[in-house]
Amino acid sequence: MQLESLNLNYWAIAPELITSLAAVLIMLVDALSKRGARKANAAISLVAIALAFIAIVQQEPAGSYFNGMVVNDPIRLFFSITILIVAFLAVLFSSQFVRDEGLPPGEFFNLIMFATAGMLMLASAGDLVTVFLGLEIASITTYVMAGYRRYDVRANESSLKYFLLGSFATAFLLYGMALVYGATKTTNIAAIKTAISTGQVLYPSLLLIGAAMLLVGFGFKIASAPFHLWTPDVYEGAPTIVTGFMGTGPKVAVFAAFMRVFADSFGTWQNPLGTQLRGTWLAAIAVIAIITMTVGNVIAISQKNIKRLLAYSSIAHAGYALVGFVTQNFAPVAFYMLAYSLMTVGAFAVIQMLARAGDQKVEVEDYAGIGFEVPKLSIPLSIFLLSLAGIPPTAGFMSKFYLFKSAWDQAPLMRCLVIAAIINSIISVYYYIYPIVVMFFRPLAPGFTRPRVSWATAIGLAIALAGTLYLGLLPDRLLSAMERSAKTQTVNAQVVAR
Amino acid sequence: MNIITITTFLPLVGAVALLLHAMFRSKQGASREKLNNQYRWITLLFTVVTFLISLLILVAFDPAVAGPQMVQKVPWIGALGVNYYVGVDGISFWLVLLTTFLMPISVLASWHIEKRVCEYMLFMLVLETGMIGVFVSWDMFLFYLFFEITLIPMYFLIGVWGGERRIYAAIKFFVYTVVGSLLMLVAIIAIYLYDGGTTFDIVEITQNLQSGATAIPHDVKVWLWLAFALAFFIKVPLFPFHTWLPDAHVEAPTAGSIILAGVLLKMGTYGLMRFNLPFFPDVSREAAPWVMALAVVGIIYGALVAMVQPDMKKLVAYSSVSHLGFVVLGIFAFTEMGMQGALYQMLAHGVSTGALFLCVGIIYERRHTRLIEDFGGVATPMPQYSTLFLIITLSSLGLPLLNGFIGEFLILLGTFTSDVPNAKLFAVLGCLGVILSAVYLLWMLQRVLFGETSKRENAELKDMDGREVAALVPLVVMTIVMGLTPMLFLRSSQKSVDNVRKAVEVKSLTRTK
Repeated sequence: MQLESLNLNYWAIAPELITSLAAVLIMLVDALSKRGARKANAAISLVAIALAFIAIVQQEPAGSYFNGMVVNDPIRLFFSITILIVAFLAVLFSSQFVRDEGLPPGEFFNLIMFATAGMLMLASAGDLVTVFLGLEIASITTYVMAGYRRYDVRANESSLKYFLLGSFATAFLLYGMALVYGATKTTNIAAIKTAISTGQVLYPSLLLIGAAMLLVGFGFKIASAPFHLWTPDVYEGAPTIVTGFMGTGPKVAVFAAFMRVFADSFGTWQNPLGTQLRGTWLAAIAVIAIITMTVGNVIAISQKNIKRLLAYSSIAHAGYALVGFVTQNFAPVAFYMLAYSLMTVGAFAVIQMLARAGDQKVEVEDYAGIGFEVPKLSIPLSIFLLSLAGIPPTAGFMSKFYLFKSAWDQAPLMRCLVIAAIINSIISVYYYIYPIVVMFFRPLAPGFTRPRVSWATAIGLAIALAGTLYLGLLPDRLLSAMERSAKTQTVNAQVVAR
Repeated sequence: MNIITITTFLPLVGAVALLLHAMFRSKQGASREKLNNQYRWITLLFTVVTFLISLLILVAFDPAVAGPQMVQKVPWIGALGVNYYVGVDGISFWLVLLTTFLMPISVLASWHIEKRVCEYMLFMLVLETGMIGVFVSWDMFLFYLFFEITLIPMYFLIGVWGGERRIYAAIKFFVYTVVGSLLMLVAIIAIYLYDGGTTFDIVEITQNLQSGATAIPHDVKVWLWLAFALAFFIKVPLFPFHTWLPDAHVEAPTAGSIILAGVLLKMGTYGLMRFNLPFFPDVSREAAPWVMALAVVGIIYGALVAMVQPDMKKLVAYSSVSHLGFVVLGIFAFTEMGMQGALYQMLAHGVSTGALFLCVGIIYERRHTRLIEDFGGVATPMPQYSTLFLIITLSSLGLPLLNGFIGEFLILLGTFTSDVPNAKLFAVLGCLGVILSAVYLLWMLQRVLFGETSKRENAELKDMDGREVAALVPLVVMTIVMGLTPMLFLRSSQKSVDNVRKAVEVKSLTRTK
């Protein structure tokens, strides 16, 4: 194979390279310094994430490189931005976490950076092989992070459960990829699309089975029902900062790959097979979306532990995002995931502060009366919760509005999904205001001490809060950019199809 | 700067000022007592200035224009076609004035609050911005935003500063309202997309819908109408969606009740006039007999339940259900008199029910009970209070020359002359509500104010102090002014109300053809 046809372009993978190199650098710094250079490592991580951010924003508009292994398109751009914001906030929050818990800081930042590299790779994957690579890098690092507090039984349980079930799901994914490869003779996502739309699929039934397997694998990773059963236990047991990180970052990244494989590659209606495939997965996703939303919201109502409550809420939000999925347009999903990530990471950071070292206070009842006592934590938490509930003027409202509007507009057959999502939003209001009720309307429990909040945490919270309100009040710039690229992308897709 | 924008956001500026004041002054170590007083005065200042500025709207208002005036239209979210579009017309500007008028009174009524004064006043100011915003929005998206924003401060006012069962009441209030408003959100999105998905402009969409440029299948229209109507019926509240109201009223602090009854409920009836009727004239026409029937049931049911309440505040709350039933009845009569009367009744109810809640609050502060049986012969120790309470009660039950009469009379007359099926029957039954309201209000008055001062605690009650007089007298003056010069109010709203009415009428003619 000639080198030219590979289309090597190292600038195109600059974000992934920067984050990976930073991770290696952190390992070196950690090995050479005596007492785990916490601040230096955090600084390296932050700088690397900032550089990666610049690199992703400065990318050329479109194209595929490394023989189609890496693609550069709006999906990558917008999902990577979200991933990097999540990583940035996670680094800011975990600086205090590793110190309070007395955990070795070097490895933790290193794991965050590798996970970020994996997630970025997932968002830019143009080939099933890179999807798998990115997914594995991101998953294995988060398995370790979930069990990072290794003296804690709950964290160990969480990590092991996540690892076993995650591996199982990965096996599904891999098997699905193998079957799709068998059916289409290629692992390149764009080539699979061409194969389906031009009728060059050797074994149509293999393709359908493979697609179903992929759906199971992706469905597990984004914690959609009925593949969600691991979520509450894992989210509850993992250190809260890690919960916030793995509840958002990997989910965002998997959504990017999920969209690219299903909405784009399997989303063609050029051929009878394509129509059949598309109709089948759309119906499946519609059913999954409804089950996911309902299961998440209904079970969340009865939760007494705030981490479990937010775990079920994150299941429900995956369901809402799937409503956007049926439009096959990335913009509403990307906007939704950005808003969701900001408010979820922010909420988990506050919970971490209030739970204190070792996750002692994670029952909602523990929050009784703290509202006016620690307003600097309780007000942000209230805003994040109201945003998750979709009350304006927050990011949660704007993203839901945009999502429902797009789904109502672009998928007329799926309007029942919007109605279901609205009914679910109504249910969700009840449990999102429950912690607010406890915080502000109940008397203060005796023996309450104010948690310590470090500067890094305060800055992180401020960023998450500002982002939540910014997207709620002035979303125009981002929305316009997304709409524009979504339009050009569909035009491109049509040109290719012709 | 646009005067409407200033009126809307001045309270929010006040809230920020309050917050900054609290941040800087509490560090200097001023005493709690002194700080609390400063918070109260700052809030009062901002609400009074807002009221004075809103009077400029009255001066500048041109009654000859039917559409929105004093508008400001600035693109906000270009990707979705959302504009920051505010202005007033004949329907909304009176409601804006009602809001700004009731706010200083509510602040005066909450002077005694000692618990977290700064936060309380903060929520009051945010609430004012939200309420004014609802009435001045001419963009559906903006309207929805303000409609939802009013929820949060009210929720906290009930939940933190409320009575014993405040948590239950606050959650019930929140969940009920959200149910309605989220369904309305679907309807807003659907209409926006049917209209082409380029604008949320209410004026434009109304025109498109009425001229037929935006065609929506009839059965879809019915669903959309229902989605809007449910949101507003819950807010009004129309029987059988009223159950949150007594709970919220009883548990809310006095000022919360004044605002709730005075302004928040009007957001429902205002929404009906702004959205349901102009957007879907034909569906409104079909639904009218049913809605009127519910309204009449509400009138009579509310009155009957009010009659047997042992708690004065609950009595006033149920009287609101009854009075708001009249407003809905008038709106769905589709006659000029009915609709004008409905608008008038909204204002009159805001003033007199606000005053009633204030009166209940005044003796509640003294005795810490609201049970009617705990009182009796209050007129002897509190003559001034009793006089004002009597005037307010009379205005609420519709005595001629006071404000309640004009609204109810116009509504009943408008309903009687309406061509909606069975309208005459509804008018007659509605009259029953007027009689019943006299029964329960006068009976309450008799048991509370008159008779022998049987309980020793009541004999030593102090009459109103200067603050209470300052809060109550403007309301009493207003009831008399509104009762004597109704045309002052009716004339300026005539054009806009007529515009809504014509839409319903014209549509009905084309349908019968």
